[in-house]
Order: sequence, then C-alpha cells, then structure tokens
Amino acid sequence: MSNSLLAPTSQHTIGPFFPRTFFQPGDNDLTRVTHGAAPTQRGEAILLRGRVLRAEAVPCLNQILEAWQADSAGRFNHPLDPEAHLADPDFLGWGRAWTDAEGCYEFRTIIPGGYPDAAGQRAPHINLSVMGAGLMRRAQTSMFFPDFPAENAADPILALVPAAQRGKLLAVPDGRAEGLRLFRFDIRLQGDVAVETPFFED
Amino acid sequence: MTASEVPDRFEPWPPGVEPAVPIPGYPNTFTFTPSQPAIRRPATRTEATGPVDLHRKLPCGDANLAELSPGKFAIGQLMHIAGRILDEAGRPVRGAIVELWQANAAGRYFHPIDQRAAPLDPNFIGNGRIRTDAEGRYAFMTIKPGAYPVPVKETWWRPPHLHFSVIGPSSLSRLVTQMYFAGDPLNALDRILNSIPDLAARQRLIARDLPPAEVGDEWLGFTHDIVLRGRHATPMTP
Repeated sequence: MSNSLLAPTSQHTIGPFFPRTFFQPGDNDLTRVTHGAAPTQRGEAILLRGRVLRAEAVPCLNQILEAWQADSAGRFNHPLDPEAHLADPDFLGWGRAWTDAEGCYEFRTIIPGGYPDAAGQRAPHINLSVMGAGLMRRAQTSMFFPDFPAENAADPILALVPAAQRGKLLAVPDGRAEGLRLFRFDIRLQGDVAVETPFFED
Repeated sequence: MTASEVPDRFEPWPPGVEPAVPIPGYPNTFTFTPSQPAIRRPATRTEATGPVDLHRKLPCGDANLAELSPGKFAIGQLMHIAGRILDEAGRPVRGAIVELWQANAAGRYFHPIDQRAAPLDPNFIGNGRIRTDAEGRYAFMTIKPGAYPVPVKETWWRPPHLHFSVIGPSSLSRLVTQMYFAGDPLNALDRILNSIPDLAARQRLIARDLPPAEVGDEWLGFTHDIVLRGRHATPMTP
C-alpha cells in the first residue's frame, strides 16, 4: 500500500464575479433548511448583521461570507459528531451571504450550543469565512456571544487569541429587529493590530 | 455518509502550494489581505465537520452551461470538462458540491459588476452547480472562456480560466480555485496563477487536454482533478 499523498489543489481568489445567480432567497437564513421550509423550532433565532471592511475602513463590496455552526444543542449532523443522530433535523448549520456596496451582510440563524471537544469545552460560536476579490485565500474567523462569559473564558480556541484581541471576536448586541435579538459583527480584513479582526488557519 | 468516508486528519498546507500574498501588480491584495499572521488552531468539531446535506439548500444538477435552453447555444468553442474531487489520500469525495463559473467567449462575465465593453452573450449565463457521484466525478458542458484585461493601473490579461468552488464534508476542505488551459501564452504572465510559488502546484491548476479520439469530434475535451485538504486517519483497505 502506498503512503504517498496527493498535494491539495491551491486556493485562488473567488474574484469579483461569483455569480449572483448562484444565490437564492434564504441562502443566508440558517434557521430554514430551504427557503420554503418551516424554521427550526429549536434554539433562539437571532439576526446577525455586520460590515466587511478593508484597509482604511473602506467597505468591501461583493465579499462572499459563509457561516457554519452547531445546532442549538451543540451538535452537528455529520459523521464526526458522536451525537449526530440527536442533531436538529431542521437545521443545516450553513449559510451564505454577500456584501452590498456598504460592505453589509446579514444572516438569520440561531444561537448555537457549545460542546465538549478533545481540545477542550467549546463555547457557542459561529465560524465565518470571507472570500472576495483581493483575498487570495479565504479569511476564517470565529464569532462568540457576550451571553456566555464563563464559556468564552474557557474556550480553547479563543484562548489562542492574544487577550487584548479577544473582544473583537465577540458579537455586539444591538437591540431588536424583525422581532429577534440583533447582533453586530464587523469584520476588518486589514488594519492595525488594534482594529484588525483575528483570523485563523487550521 | 459514514465516519470512515469523511476526512478526520488534516496536515498543514505543503510549502509552495498556497498563494504568496500580497501580489505585486494586483493592488487589491495590498488592502484586503490581513496584516497579522493567521492564528493556527487545532481542528475542533466545527472545523472538521461541514454540511453533508447542503444540496437541500443549494439546488444541484445544472451541468450544461453551453445550451441555455433547448437549441439556444452559447457562442464559443464547445467544451466538456470533467474530473474527480479527491482527498489527499486519493479517495473520491462523493456528494461534494461543485460550483463552476466563468466568462463568456468574449471574456465578459454575466455579473452586474462586470461593465467592460465586451459583448454579453444572450445564450450564456456561465454558471452551474452539481454534486459529485460515488466515484467523486463531476462534469460540465460549457464553452471555452475568453481572456480579459484586469482594470488596474498596470493592467494584465487574465488567461482563459474556469472558477471552481467545492464544498465537501469538512469546513477544512472548503476550496475555491481556478483552472487554466495548457499552452496559453497568457498563463506565464498571469499574476494570480503565478502567485503560487511551487511550479508543480501551478501545473496542477492546468487542465489536461483530451484527444478527439477520446471525446469525439463535437467538442473540446479536458480533464481536471481537484484535491481537497484532509484524509481519513485509517487508510483505505485495498
């Protein structure tokens, strides 16, 4: 048996022309499996809005964002989750959005649950990928909730971020909209260390 | 899909495979690229998992870009592109979502941001989405895209290329890439392709031409395999 591995194919920029025709209503709504489906009954539905900005805080038009998260109980419908059979059948955990001329995006989702992991107890979080013209590699970050200070303090991934930077990964409560709690999470792709969003590589 | 079918082991990117950024002559890379080094994190469950039922949200099956509706053919050289989505152990990734988009034969995208003075083709939108089969195969019928100039101060021409977006069973294996055509003189001048430091890695982005004897005389034929990050810790039994 050969142990030789294939090298992964190189990443490239998604470019400025990722088709609008790929998007349908509901792609940025994680609470529904499809646009026409009834929303999941598990967990607290929320709105997540933010802006994607580059150097000098210039808004980024047509950046593609993808969200991935656990269900309300911290489970994934995936073979690597030992409790996948208990995962919310009405929740895919994935959504995609694009930014408008002001750099704004929006997701509708639910507050995820935390879960135990080999690396430690994960706090509730949403992983976000940003892709766009000028970004040759997708930028990956992770958003946490101010609702869970104890869980956040114990999260093994958040602990990798320098303490002074961790606050930038917390969503900011911003009242209510459309009957839901609204959180804001701006993503600063480039800026000085005080303002640039921390990004991860795996 | 079972646990033995999904990758659970992820090595860092090999040297020279990731693009070197920012790219001289591609100004946006100087203002979009994060200035701080990315923080290396272990793959917890969120990173190792991904959407396995995504076709429920993203409709798949649109594999013919060359014929908008019966009898309405796009202008350009008809071409068939096919290949396999593999993991790093060479195992097929079945059920992966493959999105393809591209410029038309005149090098213009059907996209509101592309306002270049080149004609749109009323019979060409230029995007499709399919799921790979049990052997990890994908295939599209399309037309060969044209080259186009990049509107920056010191312009350069993008060689004909296809854009691929692949969503497999792991967030870590998410891939957005581009595919090029062998022998195009613009390849050597492309700032995006040549941002990949390793020659062999660049060559892996170039599709293989198939001879007419293999594909027939109605269209050009190309094959192109795409390798996603990750593999299963337990090797496949032969």
